Amino acid sequence: MKSKVVSLQEAVASLENGAHMSFSGFGQSMGPLAFVREMIRQGIRDLELTAVGEAWSVDLLCGAGAISRIRLSNFMFEGWGRCRNFSRVVEQGKVQVEDYSHFGLINRFFAGAIGVPFMPTKVMNGTDIVNIRGFDGEQKYMPFHCPFTGETVGLVPQVRPDVAVIHASRADPFGNVQLFGISSHTEVIAKAAKKVIVTVEEIVDESVIRKDPSRTIIPGFMVDYVVHCPFGAHPTGMFMYYDYDKQHIDYYVQATRTEEGTAAYLKEFVYGTRDETEYLEKIGLERLMEIKADPYFGYSLKNRGELS
Amino acid sequence: MTGAQVTTDEIMVYAASKMINDGEVALIGTGLPMIAAYLAKATHAPNTVLIFESGVIDARSRHMATGVGDFPLVSGAVKTGGLFDSLSLLQGGKIDLGFLGTAEVDTYGNINSTVIGPYHQPKVRLPGSGGANDIASLAGRVIIIAKHQKRKFPAKLSYLTTPGFIDGPGARERYGLRGKGPQKLISDLGIFGFDEETKRMRIESLHPGVTLEMVKENTGFELLGADGDIPTTEIPPAEIVRLIRELDKDKIYINKDKGGDS
Repeated sequence: MKSKVVSLQEAVASLENGAHMSFSGFGQSMGPLAFVREMIRQGIRDLELTAVGEAWSVDLLCGAGAISRIRLSNFMFEGWGRCRNFSRVVEQGKVQVEDYSHFGLINRFFAGAIGVPFMPTKVMNGTDIVNIRGFDGEQKYMPFHCPFTGETVGLVPQVRPDVAVIHASRADPFGNVQLFGISSHTEVIAKAAKKVIVTVEEIVDESVIRKDPSRTIIPGFMVDYVVHCPFGAHPTGMFMYYDYDKQHIDYYVQATRTEEGTAAYLKEFVYGTRDETEYLEKIGLERLMEIKADPYFGYSLKNRGELS
Repeated sequence: MTGAQVTTDEIMVYAASKMINDGEVALIGTGLPMIAAYLAKATHAPNTVLIFESGVIDARSRHMATGVGDFPLVSGAVKTGGLFDSLSLLQGGKIDLGFLGTAEVDTYGNINSTVIGPYHQPKVRLPGSGGANDIASLAGRVIIIAKHQKRKFPAKLSYLTTPGFIDGPGARERYGLRGKGPQKLISDLGIFGFDEETKRMRIESLHPGVTLEMVKENTGFELLGADGDIPTTEIPPAEIVRLIRELDKDKIYINKDKGGDS
């Protein structure tokens, strides 16, 4: 088999402006943020997103003005409050939105993943998620009576993004991907998307995957590119590798309270760094060692206020 | 530990924990409900199973998680999966109760967490439903935790994100929502239920020191049960207070701005 490993720059350069994308990430974990920073450096723009909970990817891209519309279920920096860049661009009318519940949106991906035009579901009915429509219009939700039982259900149409970008624990060069811990929507977006780009903490030999296949979430034949990105989720964390970076998140959340602050943040950490090595140098070795995971717990006790 | 006064947060945590029955399966969010669930497991309901929407099944964490996708929930769980796994359990009827927070809540227990102002030109864009609509539509019953302020208890929501009883009796059945809907609302002023007949919010008890006037001033709609003797919410006993403070010793979720600790 042929290696799918490419550089971060090459993987990002394969994107087209105006693409429809989805990202992994849930709260303060698993965001493919090295990839997102490189997208911002390369000026990828006019994106349509279908996004479940990937608050960090979305907020960074909103801050960079890279998005035109988003179908979403929830963006929040849990424990740190609202995503200010996302909120601001929506309040300013710069980005169109279409709201779903988590399960409503997950079912749209699931339909895309399993190759059916729609899925029946029992959520969202009776609320403004159904009553108030944005850019999806009629292509959002339809009340339906089950032909077998007569029950009231709602149909949601399939969604298939052009590209899914996921950050995972490890992969072999052929794109067999393993993820430790929760997977949130990682698997379903990869299965629904037309193209899959995976960034990983480690690239391992194929035998490592084959020895432990129950941890594999996406087999290699479904993956287009593999990129080696250690600390690629920073400032979000990766279970068993490193914790979220509390200090950096505090800094980001404070900075993004204003447009000026966001611009300064992006200038310092994204536009002002040539690549991810420079970005990590800016974060500093001391900090990266502090968030390094304790192998027993899978996260950093130091980051949790112990061992200080 | 001193004999510092019991805080409102602690009264709320205690009340919420007592609403969990032993052996139930509960879908939990962050914040005060997480402390309440841990308290229930540490006291009267050790066999409660905690599920988190991110894909954590039967968590037993050793550090306080700062979010539902946070790693202390993963380490020690019996299974990890994805959103589809945990939310499918709801639709499959396997979750007994869920807890929800609010930005705005109305008399029928409907919740807004999407926008303040018009949807297409919002004054404030909020995080959105997330799993809240799913939990409220599908969990066996729902407990709402809210901060009592007039603007947060409006006569009409800016946007109905998450269904309570929608527009009254029969609505949930009409829309095919399988769960029974909100059972209680716990605010920083009192505990509220929902009237059997009208499905509107009803005062059940007020926290110590809270007057009916204070509740009326902070509610944008008429509350039922505002006449006659209103009971006072039960205060947690000293050993429970001690346990609550130990559970959230870093004050991640409760007792953030006030005293109550030694």
